[in-house]
Amino acid sequence: MTDPLARSRNSREVLLNPLTISRNENERVLIEPSVNSIRLSIKIKQADEIERILCHKFTRFMMQRAESFIVLRRKPVKGYDISFLITNNHTDTMLKHKIVDFIIQFMEEVDKEISEMKLSLNARARVVAESYLLAFNS
Amino acid sequence: MILLESNNYIIQTTLAEKCIKPSSLDVQFVDFDGVRFHLSTPERKTSLLLSMSIRCWDELVKYGVDQVLQREYGHRVKAQPESEYNVSLELDLEQFPPEGEERDSLIKSISLLKRNALAAPFELAFSTQKQLSASGTGQGELLALHYRDEEAIYVQASSDRVTVIFSTIFREETDRIFGKVFLQEFVDARRLPTIQSAPQVLYSTRDAPLELSHLPGLKQTEDVGYVTFVLFPRHFANPEVAGSTISHIQNFRDYLHYHIKCSKAYMHSRMRHRVTEFQKVLNRAKTEVAVTDRKTARYVPLPPIPQHV
Amino acid sequence: MSFLAPIICDNGTGFSKVGYAGNSDPSFVFPTAIATRGSASQSARSGPAVPNKPGNLASKRGVEDLDFFIGDEALANAKTPGYGVNYPIRHGQIENWDYMERFWEQTIFKYLRAEPEDHHFLLTEPPLNPPENREQTAEIFFESFNIKGLYIAVQAVLALAASWSSNKVTDRTLTGTVIDSGDGVTHVIPCAEGYVIGSAIKHIPIAGRDITQFVLNLLRERGEMVNVPPEEHLKVAGKVKENYSYVCQDIVKEFRKYDVEPYKHFERYEGEYSVTGRKYSVDVGYERFLAPEIFFNPEIYSSDFLTPLPEVVDTVIQQSPIDVRRGLYKNIVLSGGSTMFQYFGQRLKRDLKQIVDRRLENNAAIKGTQMKSSGVDVDVISHKRQRYAVWFGGSLMASLPEFYTFCHTKAQYDEVGPSICRRYQIFGSAT
Repeated sequence: MTDPLARSRNSREVLLNPLTISRNENERVLIEPSVNSIRLSIKIKQADEIERILCHKFTRFMMQRAESFIVLRRKPVKGYDISFLITNNHTDTMLKHKIVDFIIQFMEEVDKEISEMKLSLNARARVVAESYLLAFNS
Repeated sequence: MILLESNNYIIQTTLAEKCIKPSSLDVQFVDFDGVRFHLSTPERKTSLLLSMSIRCWDELVKYGVDQVLQREYGHRVKAQPESEYNVSLELDLEQFPPEGEERDSLIKSISLLKRNALAAPFELAFSTQKQLSASGTGQGELLALHYRDEEAIYVQASSDRVTVIFSTIFREETDRIFGKVFLQEFVDARRLPTIQSAPQVLYSTRDAPLELSHLPGLKQTEDVGYVTFVLFPRHFANPEVAGSTISHIQNFRDYLHYHIKCSKAYMHSRMRHRVTEFQKVLNRAKTEVAVTDRKTARYVPLPPIPQHV
Repeated sequence: MSFLAPIICDNGTGFSKVGYAGNSDPSFVFPTAIATRGSASQSARSGPAVPNKPGNLASKRGVEDLDFFIGDEALANAKTPGYGVNYPIRHGQIENWDYMERFWEQTIFKYLRAEPEDHHFLLTEPPLNPPENREQTAEIFFESFNIKGLYIAVQAVLALAASWSSNKVTDRTLTGTVIDSGDGVTHVIPCAEGYVIGSAIKHIPIAGRDITQFVLNLLRERGEMVNVPPEEHLKVAGKVKENYSYVCQDIVKEFRKYDVEPYKHFERYEGEYSVTGRKYSVDVGYERFLAPEIFFNPEIYSSDFLTPLPEVVDTVIQQSPIDVRRGLYKNIVLSGGSTMFQYFGQRLKRDLKQIVDRRLENNAAIKGTQMKSSGVDVDVISHKRQRYAVWFGGSLMASLPEFYTFCHTKAQYDEVGPSICRRYQIFGSAT
């Protein structure tokens, strides 16, 4: 996937003003519009070491499948966890508002998914530890 | 499967099969912790030779492995092990009991060869504890068992307990973090009323526990951890309980790593599911044109198995 | 510490063959089946049952995904209430990655008892496997299991390597035609110097299962099965096929032989009903040579597939590039249980040779020249390791010292990512 932004980093005339929306230092979205595309990067909430590794695993897993996600970049912009690139080509062939729906839903669910993964890891760890120690009783 | 077995499945199934239908054989296989086995019929079909190579054999010899194996396998232990292996058992199928429970339990005990060899330091520590408890004070020798390249088990008896320390190392960041979560649960689990009789578990990273602090050359990095199990006399009150404690505690490292890997497999399942869901949402944005466009990309569909050639 | 033996996993549609390199047979051969909680029907499409909904995480046990059986145990638990059996591989390709990942997990920890971090793995794939599948496989083995190194080999190429063990083979070549016949399908796969000629591959919808069915039909027609309890019919037919069948060189003569001296040629199969212990016996006659005959005269069994195997092989080779055809005729290698019939190789060789010679004569006649072709060598290699040839080929390859240098390592994977596994180099060939 070619990224017009990457190619034209030096030609200022095609780049428009970037925009950052942030809830706090650790959760923010960077939107970089240009004449023919938008690059959108997300920094996902990571409260601790466990969430950091799970987030890394999840985004990597998804980017590994970038090809079928069309608007997903294989590598995130530096300082962010995941980046999307929506070109004029995409908006011509796809429904714009549905792409927006997708991004919004992704942002809503990714936090939830990561905290659920963390919960389930803790739950598993507990069962595993208990099962092991219980076996000393027998 | 939550708990790992102690016995080797390949030994068990192969012996059971050869009892019924002897045939010549020459196979090599492994077990956890780099143990290598060789099962062969060097002379005739009914006489099997089972040899085992184990990394920490020299240490095991110091802790009395020969007596343990002699007790378990008697005359079947060969005086001179096969070259490149540490111990060999000679198994004459013609002298095996007839089909039934007796034969099954003999086969089972042979498949526990690794477990029985590794039991030596634990048995030694348990008996040392009994002596010390009579005198009321003192500490036994620290028995070290370098059972893997970078990991060791330490066993030490004192007058009222036997301490078992595993040094662990995680080769991967994910494993290290997952491992930490797991080990913390081992420490916390004892709060449950049902588990209070289990051994006490302590866990530390980087710095070795007091018992080991005098040892030279211990690594002090983030990926190193120490798990201490405190076994009380009730955990080895009689030979049967002691036996099951030994089988169980030996498996600790493999158990932990098995479950870290299972958790990662589980996470993969979750991620596959979630990514498919996201995919569905994005697909709603695709118009007809876009969909057909995709198909021309690079998936080369496999030819279906045709009915006509 | 020297490397521990690499692990060879050959996961096929029907059976998985797994074991350690250096041995001549796999340690385990069991069905590629997994029995999980929940019915089999809801499995394939509706995604994994694994991901829990939020809320009931803490209340549930949390490790339901460890409650499953694989292989023979999976089939044994098929009828246990609450379990359903699933087959994660269809037509040679992995269809359900969740099940496959757990299938491997238990293969390694329960059956092989290996710490995957200490081992290199050699896995097999069918010809024309999409690269995405390799990447997913690599993702599982490197990320879940942290294996040391991975090599993925094409099954047909391993079958060629397995034939090096035959004393007829002297030049360790990876050029040849592989006839791989298992339970479900028979493939004819041409390989040139270790690369599969994808466009020329052909599949034949006749394999082990069909032969068993055909034997059963014949036995029923002759009224032999009346004494056999219906649920044992397939088992008996399978045993008859495995124990008494062979390939004849001429059907008509063979029939005559049986009619002249039935006592000499008929065999008796003795069985015992597993439920009641009642004994029964079955006379085995023409089935003995008719069973594998369906490869050579498919019309005796099937009405919609009619091309004899030798003709298919000839077509495959004729569709391959002209410069490798001689190599393909000269090295026809058999692999899989359904090629184990006695005299199978001789018959195939004879029939194929006839086809080839006839074509040469025709060509000569049309051209009308005096220049005569020197002829084409046709040879079919049978060897002792044919049944698990793919696995055995893997065991051979992974025992070569250069195996390790051809593996992708964990370090390489961590640096480049799964795409590293798109590329594999062949090795081991002497030519």
